[in-house]
Amino acid sequence: MTKPSMNTRFATAFEIRAAIANKAVTAEVVTRDVLKTIREEDGNIGAFLETFDDEAIASAKAIDEMIARGEELPRLAGVPVALKDNMLVKGHRATSGSRILKDYVAPYDATVVARLKAAGAIIVGRTNMDEFAMGSSTETSAWQKTFNPWDTSRIPGGSSGGSCAAVAAGFVPIALGSDTGGSVRQPAALCGIVGLKPSYGRVSRYGLMALASSFDQIAPFARTVADAALALEVIEGEDERDATSVSLSETTVPELMSPTLKGVKVGVPKEFFIDGMDEDVRSTVLAALETMREQGAEIVDISLPLLKVALPAYYIIQPAEACSNLGRFDGMRYGTRAPGSLEASYLEARGEGFGREAKRRIMLGAFILSAGYVDAYYKKALAVRAALKTQFDNAFKEVDVIVGPTSPVVAWKVGEKFDDPMAMYLADVFTVATNVIGIAGISIPCGFAHGLPVGLQIQANHLEEGKMISVAAAYEAATQWHEQVPVQK
Amino acid sequence: MDFNIDHVAKLAKLTLTPEEREMLATQLPSILDYIGQLKDVDTSGVDPKAYLTSATNVFRDDVVVRNLDERDALVAAFPKRMGDAVEVPGVFAE
Repeated sequence: MTKPSMNTRFATAFEIRAAIANKAVTAEVVTRDVLKTIREEDGNIGAFLETFDDEAIASAKAIDEMIARGEELPRLAGVPVALKDNMLVKGHRATSGSRILKDYVAPYDATVVARLKAAGAIIVGRTNMDEFAMGSSTETSAWQKTFNPWDTSRIPGGSSGGSCAAVAAGFVPIALGSDTGGSVRQPAALCGIVGLKPSYGRVSRYGLMALASSFDQIAPFARTVADAALALEVIEGEDERDATSVSLSETTVPELMSPTLKGVKVGVPKEFFIDGMDEDVRSTVLAALETMREQGAEIVDISLPLLKVALPAYYIIQPAEACSNLGRFDGMRYGTRAPGSLEASYLEARGEGFGREAKRRIMLGAFILSAGYVDAYYKKALAVRAALKTQFDNAFKEVDVIVGPTSPVVAWKVGEKFDDPMAMYLADVFTVATNVIGIAGISIPCGFAHGLPVGLQIQANHLEEGKMISVAAAYEAATQWHEQVPVQK
Repeated sequence: MDFNIDHVAKLAKLTLTPEEREMLATQLPSILDYIGQLKDVDTSGVDPKAYLTSATNVFRDDVVVRNLDERDALVAAFPKRMGDAVEVPGVFAE
């Protein structure tokens, strides 16, 4: 008699969990199927750096034993999940896409990892990323390239390109990335899936290698808004190990989403439609707004003038914080120790271990924070940040959510922007403000331009994920873009 | 704005290859020009420290929590060690 099986490719977390809970298939069969698919199909995509086969199968068997004992199943029981290479999974390598951490083994679980495990998720492996999460194309990884499942001659976006591609290619229903300036929302847009950046402080950063400590948030990718909300439910919440995490008066529960656009005030800042953005992307997003209007939303034109300087402000504060955070990579307590005197050792370990983009940002940050320049750059940027927050707060008094394009362009060809850092930085022009002021943002698929996915970004004020998720789910239900998947070769 | 690449590399404790030095010496000044546009933004009356969430200092009880296998893993990661201590080059040595 053949063992019951399930086609896990492109399945959602809800579907997989239900099939396992209903005993239509075992968690072990699901996990083995997922690992097999990755082995056979990830060669062309390059999403995964490593799969944790033994541990995944053992976790799956543990779920099957729970079922056999008739125990109540946790929220993500048997659901395969992938993690970006900058999140610590005890006993496994984590390199943040960098040579400087090539031999580093995580001594503990990140809080989100512990919560996923407690929820019964099967951690399938770690995914590719731009080195130290700096980038918008995943091309700066020290290890390999990741390709866009919709067109493998193109980039998937970045820096969480591996986690994004893993979901977009249908290998796993949920993957975690980290979003500091758009590193989950932008690839989600370029790969036609959901990417949800929580409000700052909503999800613990303990066990996430820090890039910019006042911007970073761990952020889920998924095929559907409901799956993204489920992932958020499991990972969110105050953590005594992250002093910047906040206590939530309202937790996420996907089943209580009540998707609706009726009567919702959707603010559209004119600053989100810039010269130089792709015309077909512009018209696709405008069509999405029209759909929202048809579904009962009130589209309100607004203006947020400081959005024009959000990107420069971001590229002052972020490199400064990154330079500070990357100071710990000196080869002393972990990583590769270089020989010689203390100074020589630092210079060599860091010179050898860091790639070009990391060096670029560290240098920028060091300059920005140096004597004589810190007031003109860093402190000025902090003031702009405060003023930008005030502008958004005032806008949110008039509208429920703020909507616009996630990315000014569709996925570009591998290598096309690699040698032009400013061109790469401009890819995040619509996403950085969300991190700068710490509010919530989600990208959902809203159509295609030039045959490639386009993302719609919906932002809500700090800790108002409920509104954001409800609007996103309503738009998703009305359009079904998420049903479209990359053509199988 | 006076960008001295060698001074900044020293602050950042980075060695640059000749190619990297040349690339960064061209790219960084133009990035600095781009971000320098902030100087024209009117932020009079805005306190740079005004951006704060509702969080204030967060404290926990001063109680030791022993986690020995995590400690062992941390020690095992030291590139050079003497017993349980990380061995480093002399701070004041030449």
